[in-house]
Amino acid sequence: MEPMTQAALWFWLPAALVPFGAWISLSSKTTSTTTFGRAVALLGIVGIVSSPWTVPDSPSSAAGHLLGFLLGPAALLLAGIYLVAFSGNVPVGRLPKSDRRLGVMSFIIGFVWFVGMHWWNLTPALNGEVNRYWLVFWPTFLLLLTCLLSGSALSLRMIGDRRATESNVMWFASAFVFLLIALAMTIDGRAVDAETFRYHLWLAGADLLGTAVGLSIAILVFGFIIFLHERALPEPDSIEPPTEEEFEQVSAIVAANIGGGGEDE
Amino acid sequence: MNDNRLVFTWRAMLLAFLLPLVLVWAFDFTLGGSIGAGVDSLPRFGNAILTSYILGSLILLGNLFFYADSRQRPLAPLFGMFAAAAIGVLVTVMLLNQGDLLMEDNGSIRAQILYNVVHMFVSGGAILLSLALGLGFTFATITAQKARRTVFEEE
Repeated sequence: MEPMTQAALWFWLPAALVPFGAWISLSSKTTSTTTFGRAVALLGIVGIVSSPWTVPDSPSSAAGHLLGFLLGPAALLLAGIYLVAFSGNVPVGRLPKSDRRLGVMSFIIGFVWFVGMHWWNLTPALNGEVNRYWLVFWPTFLLLLTCLLSGSALSLRMIGDRRATESNVMWFASAFVFLLIALAMTIDGRAVDAETFRYHLWLAGADLLGTAVGLSIAILVFGFIIFLHERALPEPDSIEPPTEEEFEQVSAIVAANIGGGGEDE
Repeated sequence: MNDNRLVFTWRAMLLAFLLPLVLVWAFDFTLGGSIGAGVDSLPRFGNAILTSYILGSLILLGNLFFYADSRQRPLAPLFGMFAAAAIGVLVTVMLLNQGDLLMEDNGSIRAQILYNVVHMFVSGGAILLSLALGLGFTFATITAQKARRTVFEEE
């Protein structure tokens, strides 16, 4: 089999299954179809993660390799945040207090794991070299996270009511992530030196800006197409006003259904 | 909240969002600046615009199927959005054919296009994870505080 066909079969087909499965899952109205959609998406993820073994010669399989490395720490971070958030003061679906400690621990392990992937020897490496997509993921993640936390801190202070404490926590979190970026810009990791990180940080900034511009244009075009279509539609046909007989029928139904709860309620 | 106050709030929030970027930029310059990346950032910026536009258009094209459900399935917007995505693909191929304008460290146009898509998956993953963490952290910080009691004044 040709290398291109192999890559199409073992990487691009599973990659297409993920959004396809998500689409089926989100648009379905029955539980069985939702489960089927989730299974298809999961199958796609498994296919992508195993691509370094199924198509080792394809450069795209490096993304599958990275995904395999990221699943563990990302799941810990997300699970940790979920446990911490829902074991606090939420009106419904509150988790037990013990889940809070578990959540904090899970979050810290996930974050230390990520930090170890930069400074320690947990860096995703493929064929003896640092995975090229890790140098895309890590600076993009850190850069956007510090910006989001900073934006969120000010939003809490300006829009929220008496949220100064929460805002200060968010400022601290943003400053902590910024400190990580500053350290990565100055202190070499085992596999990624500071200069390489700084180089890729610039590219991550260009990437984020380009993505924001591209998505904005796509949304504008989408809105414009909908606007043109709606404007071209003819006026809907007017219908006759209700007759006396219809009014009486409506009145009877309304009268039968108002007046508060009965004795059996 | 009056209009002026609202505009100020949005501007301040945007500035707070951009503040770490400016600080990183300033810090990088104090360290000597990554000049090489400045040149390489332009093709990356261009590729990111085109790839996110095409992928975003395709996602919105899928979204139009749901819109069509409530509109007796018109074909015109589907065709329009498909044409918009196709124009994006054509512009990408055309610009990649213009020598080194958008080419990065890839040997052929096909390799560059495939790299762009995989690159967008990876940076999209980073964006989604940081969005989830940013929102989750904000929510967790709010729910970590003691429950408030709202006191209603008697009229």
